[in-house]
Amino acid sequence: MFASLIHPRVLTALALLLAGAGLSITAWQGPASAMLVPRIVLTIWCVVALAILIGELIRRVPVKRVTLTPLPLLMAAILIAAIATASLGFLIPALPLVALTLWLFRIRRPLPLLLGTIVIGGGLWFLFHHVLMIRLPALLTNGVI
Amino acid sequence: MDMILAAMGDAFTWQALLAIVIGTWAGIIIGGLPGLGSVVGLTIFLPFTFGMDVITSMALLIGVYCGSVYGGSITAILINTPGTPQSAATTFDGYPMTQQGRVDEALGWATFASFFGGVLSCVLLIFCAPQLAKFAVNFGSIEVFALVCLAMLCIVGISRGSLLKGLVCGMMGFFFSTVGSDPITGADRFTFGTYALSSGLDLIPVVVGAFALSEVFVRFSARDEEATTIPEARLRFPNLREIGRRLIELVRGSFIGSFVGALPGTGAAAAAFISYAAAQKLSPRRANLGKGEPDGIIASESSNNAVTGSAFIPTLALGIPGDVVTAMMMGAMVIHGITPGVRLMVDQAQTVYALFVVLIIVNVAMLVLSKPSIGLFRYLFKLPLGFVMGGIVMFSFIGAVSVRGNPLDLVVAALTGILAYVLRRGGYPLAPLVIGMVLGPALESSLRRGLLISRGDFLSFFTHSGIAATLFVLIGLFLVWTTMAGVLDWRAKIAARREPVSPSSSRA
Repeated sequence: MFASLIHPRVLTALALLLAGAGLSITAWQGPASAMLVPRIVLTIWCVVALAILIGELIRRVPVKRVTLTPLPLLMAAILIAAIATASLGFLIPALPLVALTLWLFRIRRPLPLLLGTIVIGGGLWFLFHHVLMIRLPALLTNGVI
Repeated sequence: MDMILAAMGDAFTWQALLAIVIGTWAGIIIGGLPGLGSVVGLTIFLPFTFGMDVITSMALLIGVYCGSVYGGSITAILINTPGTPQSAATTFDGYPMTQQGRVDEALGWATFASFFGGVLSCVLLIFCAPQLAKFAVNFGSIEVFALVCLAMLCIVGISRGSLLKGLVCGMMGFFFSTVGSDPITGADRFTFGTYALSSGLDLIPVVVGAFALSEVFVRFSARDEEATTIPEARLRFPNLREIGRRLIELVRGSFIGSFVGALPGTGAAAAAFISYAAAQKLSPRRANLGKGEPDGIIASESSNNAVTGSAFIPTLALGIPGDVVTAMMMGAMVIHGITPGVRLMVDQAQTVYALFVVLIIVNVAMLVLSKPSIGLFRYLFKLPLGFVMGGIVMFSFIGAVSVRGNPLDLVVAALTGILAYVLRRGGYPLAPLVIGMVLGPALESSLRRGLLISRGDFLSFFTHSGIAATLFVLIGLFLVWTTMAGVLDWRAKIAARREPVSPSSSRA
């Protein structure tokens, strides 16, 4: 029973149910008029998530062997770069992110890695920020970087 | 007739033709890059038009607009990542066709359907603009609510085999659309004290996260498998026999797109989903939809490109833009001395007809430029997977942050990407999430305005007007049809399980 509870599909359904329930509490505490539609939407969300959870528990799909993968590292890097952009501007978080992505996708020889980082990271930033004048978040107030 | 000939004279200048070629080609490339789209394309090209005359400047912008709507389908088909939200429905059948090795056929149908939808809507625009504008005015809040409810039902169709999971994703998308200031009362909803969330969640960062970033994660987790290599992009136009077989689908998608585009507050993404939902019920090959059926691509592409023409009806005739893109186009028109509104057809009829002619030329240019543009993508995707994925991450970031210049949009894209990856692993379809988010605001605002009009009496929605009643009857029929089909399917499965196993089969 415990093994089936820690199945990723069951955990996903449980997380959806808990998220829906948490948001529902916020919706029911808010103003009735503004929260009319969110209340309906979140009620349907919770009911359906509960049905999915029950279905996943009944189905008992066999648990796959968990293997270690650097995917969480890539996810964390993307999230950190996204958060850092607000304070560091676009270019500084983007360069290490592109380098890490290339490295994780097995571009590990120094020259292609360096060139790829400069062209994809720096080149695209320069094209959009300075040539096409689509202003991306900047570190300096004058917008140079 | 003299007016149309004079308008043709205005449109067939070398400056306007050059602007069309440059704009359309650039639009295809921009639309094909995940995260960028019509809005970014128009933002890039708007400053270039300041020194041009009216027709040349509008030719450049219309080229970018139509090209980007078509360009979004290229990456939707090749790497399951719609370049624009308008092409999200193209992934349902386009990517399965690519996986089956039918990429040339998928791109051919996407190109031809886009051309067909675009041209048909332009012809309709020329002859029916005044009548369509009059009919569109009959669509009040309650009629729009009924229409959007009908479109929402396509969640049922695209969640085949996992209806509950599709439904929860649809509700999630709908919920995302409610974050931020309430459109009626202005009260903050689900902002949790964060000022940046007051402006709500934008569609582009969510689409970028759900499709582009989650695709990077999926490809990363399967980077050793053969299937992760990106297929070579080729294009094969359908022959006349094939077109004849699917002519009804082409015409239906184009008409749906033309009609939906003429309604203010809808847009190409909604039109593509409505058209796809119609194909699920009416296509003779509907059983194959979602598994790599050209009818699905035709439904999506013919309708989203048909919107490009008809969206000008409310914009030009009423001064009401259909979506963000047409709002930008309207702004550009005002800059160049065209004032959209009820007097436009009377005061500047020749200019308006010249714009219609430009639209037709743009669609022809799109057909001609499709092959060299796809050739460019072929070289782009021949690069090692790491460079392509690095590029997708970078374009996703640029696309997400450049829409509103709000760095929070990047965080939204990253979180949506992680969430979408988890959902994909759990067998949850992502398309309903986008449908919920696209249609949610229209559904909510029309419902609440309708309730204000009817003094809180929801039952009066059903008897409000002939159009609303017809749409509600269609919704009822759809629900009955879907329920009956589900029950019959379930009974057939039960019967198949109870059937005794024959001795020969048991031996085998």
